[in-house]
Amino acid sequence: MRINSNYLKAGVAALALSFACGAQAKLNIFACEPEYAALAKELAPDAKIYAATTAMQDPHQVQARPSLIAKMRQADLAVCAGADLEVGWLPMLQMKSANAQVRSTDKGLFYAAEHTQTLDKLAQVDRSMGDVHAQGNPHLHFDPERLLEVAKALSAKMVSLDPDNRPAYESALADFSQRWQAATGRWQSQAAPLQGKKVIAYHTSFRYLFNWLGMEQVGDLEPKPGLPPSTGHLASLQGRAGQGDVMAIIVASYQDERGANWLGERTGLPVVNLPMSVGGNDDAQDLFGLYDSVIHLLLGVNR
Amino acid sequence: MINFNARLSAVALACACLPSLSFAADPSLTNPAISAVLDGYYQNAERPMAERVEGFGLGHTELALSANIDDMFYGKLTSVIEVHDGETEVGLEEAFIQTLAMPYGFSMRGGRFLSDVGYLNNQHVHTDAFSDRPAAYRAFLGSHYFDDGVRLDYVAPTDLYWSMGVEAFKGDGMRAEDEHGEREFKNVGVYTAYTKLGGDIGVSSSWQLGLSYLRNENGRLTAHEEHEEQVVAEAGHDHDHSHAARYTGENTYMADFVYKWAPQGNYKYQHLTLSGEYFRVSDYEPLDDHDHDHEAVDDHDTAKPDAHTGWYLSSVYQFSPNWSAGLRYGQVDTHLLHDEHFDAQKLKETEVSLAWHHSHFSTVRLQYTNQQGTNFDGITDDNVITLQYVMTLGAHGAHQF
Repeated sequence: MRINSNYLKAGVAALALSFACGAQAKLNIFACEPEYAALAKELAPDAKIYAATTAMQDPHQVQARPSLIAKMRQADLAVCAGADLEVGWLPMLQMKSANAQVRSTDKGLFYAAEHTQTLDKLAQVDRSMGDVHAQGNPHLHFDPERLLEVAKALSAKMVSLDPDNRPAYESALADFSQRWQAATGRWQSQAAPLQGKKVIAYHTSFRYLFNWLGMEQVGDLEPKPGLPPSTGHLASLQGRAGQGDVMAIIVASYQDERGANWLGERTGLPVVNLPMSVGGNDDAQDLFGLYDSVIHLLLGVNR
Repeated sequence: MINFNARLSAVALACACLPSLSFAADPSLTNPAISAVLDGYYQNAERPMAERVEGFGLGHTELALSANIDDMFYGKLTSVIEVHDGETEVGLEEAFIQTLAMPYGFSMRGGRFLSDVGYLNNQHVHTDAFSDRPAAYRAFLGSHYFDDGVRLDYVAPTDLYWSMGVEAFKGDGMRAEDEHGEREFKNVGVYTAYTKLGGDIGVSSSWQLGLSYLRNENGRLTAHEEHEEQVVAEAGHDHDHSHAARYTGENTYMADFVYKWAPQGNYKYQHLTLSGEYFRVSDYEPLDDHDHDHEAVDDHDTAKPDAHTGWYLSSVYQFSPNWSAGLRYGQVDTHLLHDEHFDAQKLKETEVSLAWHHSHFSTVRLQYTNQQGTNFDGITDDNVITLQYVMTLGAHGAHQF
């Protein structure tokens, strides 16, 4: 039944295609976060891409709002971080949008976390631990090697959904890989002075970035993941900062700076607002710009 | 009422068996989500037509189980445990299946489920920002209308969200009062049709508008018989806590809107929700067998009522991750049949609530209601203060807009 309807859809699509004077069939891509919209744009420049969230929005807390249902209803491919990052809203969008194409990873659903090793997987999760993810930290787009693994898998997914355009996807991937690997080498040498630096940060948003650059997060502004900074907790961080080895206090573009500023004022540490994703500041207009900006900002405090 | 032990043991059995089956990697989609809601309160008085009683009490204590059954069907079971007058009753609020793989934006749902009319109705009460539903919901939908039936829903492939659907229900809880038990009700009593539109305004604001129609075949009041001396309907008189609608009519029209705002669309710290709904319930006067009576009523009675109406406006602002405050005003204008004539009734409620959220899963709420009733039974005090907790355990599902 379903197969038949897919044939029917394919037929209709083919018909539409022939009427559209040979224009390429464009994939309609729904990206849960802007980093995956940017990655999809690198891999399928002609696709119609919609980002459900911005770098100013906490991807844990997104409303399953009507506009997202409408966009998901039309999508051929949904690209999300996975590892339960979107568990508070994606299932509702899938239910409400009635689009079977993006309901299962067998078809047009893609979870980045399923295509690389996540950090901090937990054997057991209890709500008393806060808003944690058993499947590991989902903010994996700040590790260039992991992101490249995801890019390869995403390109393969695009080919499987749109096999007619295989050469275009493969050449886009080759082009992206080549530029990305060159940039990775450049970033690593630029960021070498950051090796071993200690920071206090908000949440585990930059877990992969710190891991990649050899930095260490010695304090978390959140007492527990997902809980806002309390005064008692900030006081204990003030004590930690007093040891004198902390370089800066880091917050992401969607996080409240008040706790960080409070701590910064009392400890004399600089507060750095890093873009969480593409669009998080004026420089981060694509994935390359995002990495450039984050490293530039970190080096700025280290100087 | 469902057998308490049998139901609980069925759920326990399900809980015991399911984790041992091996499912695919994603637990949010393929393993059953098991969740519970704990709701307890103290209040100094009661609100008319509401389920909460004076003093200490438990609200909706829910136990829910949901999962994709296979690639074609999703299923959900929600049992509600309520304590009324020392009796523990287990009710089934949801027990439905829904299609997952129909083409072209269609989906079907069958079984027992919450009707998609209005804005609040398909939301679970524990997600509300106030301890009781607005008076209009309590009067016309029995607080929240769930029933046994089927739904066909369609989402249009447009950038502007546009969905529409039709439902048919058994409609037992929506039947007009039948004091003598002699009336022959229709087996499929309720039909609904609804449509919703929605979208974003910039990155910070989102909106949704809805229009719904509910046809209630059994909604018209039973004809008054000349020789009877008692009133036909006495709303609020028998405090039975059933989920039945107190005021019914053949045709109900509903309009609803919701507007949400968060700075830059980031719901982590602050957000505002404005919502409102309007109800009009008409065609409830008993059809008279005798034509002359009908005219006689027109002649010597005061203005003949043509509809029950109700509306509310609600505003909830979450000003930090830990605190939110709400303000709601609502009223209903209803008509109660006494012998040959209708008595106008009015209930106005002004409510303020303040809630503390330690996390997404725990809420403690203090609510004050000022209620002004005209001809309304069950108002012992114009000022109601409720202190309530609502907490959720387990794999809790995503919330609707």
